[in-house]
Amino acid sequence: VADQPDALIPTLRAVALRVEAARRLAPATGTAVLRSIVEATAALFAAEAASIALHDPVADRLVFTVAAGEQGQGVVGLAIESSSGVAGYVFSTGQPLALSDVERDARFGRATAEETGYVPRSLIAVPLVDDEGILGVLEILDKRGDGGFDLHDIELATIFARQATVAIRSSRIERDTASLLRTVLAAADGAAGDAGTALDADAIDAIVGEASAELDGDDDDPLWALADQIARLRTADPGQLELVRELLAVLVRRAERVGLRGGRPR
Amino acid sequence: MSQTLPAWSEPFAADHRAALRRLAPFDTLDRAWAFGAGDGDGVVVAIVDSGVEGDHPAVGAALRESVRIELRDDEATVVPDEPIDAVGHGTACAGIVHALAPRATILSVRVLGADNRGKGQAFAAGLEWAIGRGASVINLSLSSRSEGMYATLHELADRAYFANALLVCAANNVAVASYPSLFAAVVSVAAHDARDPEAWFYNPRPPVEFGAYGLEVDVAWKDGGRIVATGNSFAAPHIAGFAARIRAAHPDATPFEIKTILAATATPAG
Repeated sequence: VADQPDALIPTLRAVALRVEAARRLAPATGTAVLRSIVEATAALFAAEAASIALHDPVADRLVFTVAAGEQGQGVVGLAIESSSGVAGYVFSTGQPLALSDVERDARFGRATAEETGYVPRSLIAVPLVDDEGILGVLEILDKRGDGGFDLHDIELATIFARQATVAIRSSRIERDTASLLRTVLAAADGAAGDAGTALDADAIDAIVGEASAELDGDDDDPLWALADQIARLRTADPGQLELVRELLAVLVRRAERVGLRGGRPR
Repeated sequence: MSQTLPAWSEPFAADHRAALRRLAPFDTLDRAWAFGAGDGDGVVVAIVDSGVEGDHPAVGAALRESVRIELRDDEATVVPDEPIDAVGHGTACAGIVHALAPRATILSVRVLGADNRGKGQAFAAGLEWAIGRGASVINLSLSSRSEGMYATLHELADRAYFANALLVCAANNVAVASYPSLFAAVVSVAAHDARDPEAWFYNPRPPVEFGAYGLEVDVAWKDGGRIVATGNSFAAPHIAGFAARIRAAHPDATPFEIKTILAATATPAG
């Protein structure tokens, strides 16, 4: 690597482009999925509100990212200490919790609840957890009607939490790939620096940004339109896919020949 | 129901316990012999946790000494501490031990901050101090997930074992590897659902060999309060309390002998 920084940069640029293309082709993850999960959770439990708080490891805060239910909206965007209140307890111990009389429990942070404009009477909180650790907390507030939450409810909530965890983890893998590329480029920069052709952090961002920008922006970009069509091929049968792949292979070879003659391969 | 139990607790749930049944290899041992007076007299139990509230009614006058760990430039120093608990977690553990072994004395080693989390180095330094201070039962209702701490904690687990100090460790509440709870030299504990503080089960399939009362336990908490809490954290101090009873009756027993006595006198499975 240290001997060939010049060869490495274009390779990484090509990798960055493919990562971005893959990201575009992937089904929507992130907040859209999380929002639909909290909405489904609130509806199924007939709860006044449901929310998901995610841990921000840099600030060490739990940030309420999505919420469902009229009563729940005030919490979105709120960042609390990762140990405070019921969410903090569940996050730091990994142990699900159901409280039928919130006011009487020392773990409940009344001040935080008041900040959101809604103080619940009862709640369930379960960790968003997988093999890698705890990502955040799913909370469900106040079942409508007179019944409180029971043990069966914790079981159900745990299932919804698992869905959310999978969604979050997959969106993080995409983001981590982009940041991994930046790290590799920075390392290449260090190697290049020895050879007297140093890249600064801005230049590294520019390389990654430029690669992404080729796909960015409007849907009129022919390449992005193509990606869109490829995404729709998900439902195609194997025979159709093979046909498309062969056609593309021919076109790619042609495009590369044009590129060698000085045209811009896009 | 079993879903609400912490991780590692499944084998100790009512509908799984039949699998724990085995021929008792030490059927001449019973709890009367194992516990003797059953009060933990003369035994020093260290609680490595978030501190212990010295004036909490659940702790009585058992708290003898409190220290905390100061970290400066990666250098850990043990300093005297007030008898306080910013969380309640350590007080909960101390209260459980005190209820089961009322004449045992308690050392509090505060390694968790107000956020109920701590640095692995502080944890290791606190554990090392407790071993050196002569605690013969050390309750660890906490563990480190850091692979970087693996070697240090492994070495300390061995050191405790050779110093005749029994480490009683809560298995993690979630199914991830954490240390020292998965080391062979320790007594690793998860929660059962038998709703009986005097019941514990032995699981012949490691790593988590014991199940104790940890589901919806009424425990002491900070500011003199109490809460109802579920977790392996509250199961471990039950075993620590029983171990203190055994230690008091059999002062020369080694950690592996205590583990054997605990296994032999466990609540019959099934």
